[in-house]
Amino acid sequence: MNAQLDKKRHPLAGKRMSGAEMIIQVLAEEGVDTIFGYTGGAILPTYDAIFRYNVEHESNRSEQIQLIVPANEQGAGFMAAGYARATGKVGVFIVTSGPAATNSVTPIRDSMADSVPVVLICGQVARNAIGTDAFQEAPVFNLMSSCAKHVFLVEDPEDLEITVRTAFEIARSGRPGPVVIDVPKDVQNWEGTFKGEGMLHFRGYENRMKALAAARLTEQDCLDFFDLLQRCERPLICAGGGIICGDAAERLREFSQKFQIPVVTTLMGIGSVDTTDKLSLHMLGMHGMAYANYAVMDCDFLITIGARFDDRVAGKVQEFAPRARYFAHIDIDAAEIGKVKTVTWFHVGSAQDALSDLMKGSGDFCKDFSKWLDHVDELKTNHVRNYDRESPAIQPPYVIECLNEITQGEAIICTGVGQHQMWAAQYLEVKHPRSFLTSGSMGTMGFGLPAAIGAQAACPDRLVIDIDGDGSMRMNLGELETATTYSLPIKVLVLNNQGDGMVRQWQKIYFGNRFSGSDKSLRQKDFVKTAEADGFEFAARLTDKKLLKKTLTEFVRFKGPAFLEVMIDPDACVYPMVGPGMGYKEMITGDYIVGRDAAENLPESPSKLTDSF
Amino acid sequence: MTDVSLQASKPDNPKGTRTLSILVENRFGVLSRIAGLFSARGYNIESLTVAGSSEPGLSRITMVVRCEPLLAQQILKQVDKLPDTVEASDLSETNCVERELILVRVRAPEGKRTTLLTEAEIFRARVVTATPENYVFEVTGDSGKVEAFLDVVRPYGIDEMVRTGKVALHRNLNSRVNENGDNAMPAAR
Repeated sequence: MNAQLDKKRHPLAGKRMSGAEMIIQVLAEEGVDTIFGYTGGAILPTYDAIFRYNVEHESNRSEQIQLIVPANEQGAGFMAAGYARATGKVGVFIVTSGPAATNSVTPIRDSMADSVPVVLICGQVARNAIGTDAFQEAPVFNLMSSCAKHVFLVEDPEDLEITVRTAFEIARSGRPGPVVIDVPKDVQNWEGTFKGEGMLHFRGYENRMKALAAARLTEQDCLDFFDLLQRCERPLICAGGGIICGDAAERLREFSQKFQIPVVTTLMGIGSVDTTDKLSLHMLGMHGMAYANYAVMDCDFLITIGARFDDRVAGKVQEFAPRARYFAHIDIDAAEIGKVKTVTWFHVGSAQDALSDLMKGSGDFCKDFSKWLDHVDELKTNHVRNYDRESPAIQPPYVIECLNEITQGEAIICTGVGQHQMWAAQYLEVKHPRSFLTSGSMGTMGFGLPAAIGAQAACPDRLVIDIDGDGSMRMNLGELETATTYSLPIKVLVLNNQGDGMVRQWQKIYFGNRFSGSDKSLRQKDFVKTAEADGFEFAARLTDKKLLKKTLTEFVRFKGPAFLEVMIDPDACVYPMVGPGMGYKEMITGDYIVGRDAAENLPESPSKLTDSF
Repeated sequence: MTDVSLQASKPDNPKGTRTLSILVENRFGVLSRIAGLFSARGYNIESLTVAGSSEPGLSRITMVVRCEPLLAQQILKQVDKLPDTVEASDLSETNCVERELILVRVRAPEGKRTTLLTEAEIFRARVVTATPENYVFEVTGDSGKVEAFLDVVRPYGIDEMVRTGKVALHRNLNSRVNENGDNAMPAAR
């Protein structure tokens, strides 16, 4: 018995350690191989502990923790988020107090909004100085508690070790999210006994997590679901980010194939199905593909999994999916059920388990949806995504299409926010989950470059491309140097339209072409010189459409970090577009995508659709 | 099928108050997080009481908020996501007992003192201290009784008043879900 207990005992249990050493020890045990962060006064002891930890593990490099130092703490946060989004592991960033903590608010809120598991450790002024307006002091608990999944301020050093362990558990359990640990400097310097085990207890949360893990579909749930499916002719799946972060992409693909149900994805759900698959209809929503949005309008059963009817997806909620008789909703977050859309059938639990249960519980369900699939195919053909292919100027979708030919949908793509993000979402082929990393909910410009650095650090063997806009690129331009410093072979592709294109697009439509604050054509920035100065050995600008394929190939195939600026048509707009707060029937498809007659979009009208089903 | 757009509901919409009961871990910052969920949506908390509960380490928050039932339900679901929350429920329209305690200083000049005391007796208000100019009454009861008492003493002149805010408890341990099932949170099916 004693021998058994001894075996379980942590080899370092009972060892005297400083608080900082305990932090690093727990990180190592949580499998952290990379820390992103920027040092400073109140976090010095912890940075020293990282240094000493790595010296101790000199003989076994695989046990060392790589430290990647950004230009700005916001960069560190997005690197950790890129790492987490690309792998599903918890991303870690460590910064000092005050301004470093406030610089971290943006990536924390961004990670919360997109359900990304990250842990941020902030230095804080010593306990006796808290609340005195000390040098580099900020109210981290208050700032972060409105943004993060959870925040800890370590007041009792005896709790430090178990707090760090608990933070990881909270970050990755249930609906994942960011957790912040604020550690006063004297707590890092404190010396105590390492326990090697233990967690802080959260009775309610632990019970809810247990309930979630046990939440499987009963036979009756499955019967109810298939009863609805039996009564429908035009089912459609809407897959969201929950499929990606719940590692349910494989199940979803099996499910959609098994019952022959086509799939639209949200922005966050890109990669949940192979976009080149016949059943894939790409993205829905404000800038969704016309055929995806028409399919949403035409479906009579919408099965939403890991998505939350965000305003950019649903538009005018009352008019969303107007012909749908039933809505099913699977989500791990109970608060999302019925938040926007009242549903007929729901399940709170993991998407992976729910899809497995449904497949097991389908009994002898069999229904032929081929008429609907033919209709969907017709939508795809008639309303195919398109742009001005004859234009002498480089059209951004053309760049993405050329990129598809090279990457074959196998790359990890990060984006900034704006038009380029939407073109990437619309035209990129993405074969795998965790391969399209974008700031979906928060829409943080400047996300792409640091996220790509984080993704590349996590996946050294993958091709990682940041598709960025000139506006987004400027936001975290300092991180170019981070890529070269750590020899991370990311490919930075800037689609330069000399301004904030998405803002200009809205100004064209809603503000009488008054480009207030959004035109950057007179700016002096030379991106190529910037990249060169930051050590990019491949740094080029492309203006000639004929050279695009060749240059793009050289750029992607370049061994190290590479930078390519493509001067695109500054007047290009993103189509289709469903205006804010409008219904899908008001979708504008532009000059190159064929729209549907307004009459066909009215749910009441006796359209071809109701005749054929 | 009705759609609920929560964003569209207005904070000043007078749709009555909700009494929310939230059991939380007694930890640093819990109250500010929960209050933050209301303030972030522009809702004012009408009253708030926090104190220890029957279980060690847990505190009970009773909150009165003026908002529509569906919105209260959505905010409660958000509250229920916080790691520190053990249990959250809407006690409005449930079979519960509610009490509030007030201390009120009422002007009581010579000549009016006896009638004031007689009227106070109707509400079982106790005089906790007195000066030649006024009485300080203590009244305990539900909102209706407290308001009725205040209506009666207001003509005498109220100099000062302090209220604890409402506390509430189910009459029956197992009646945590109200008649409409509004509290049936889909935590696990």
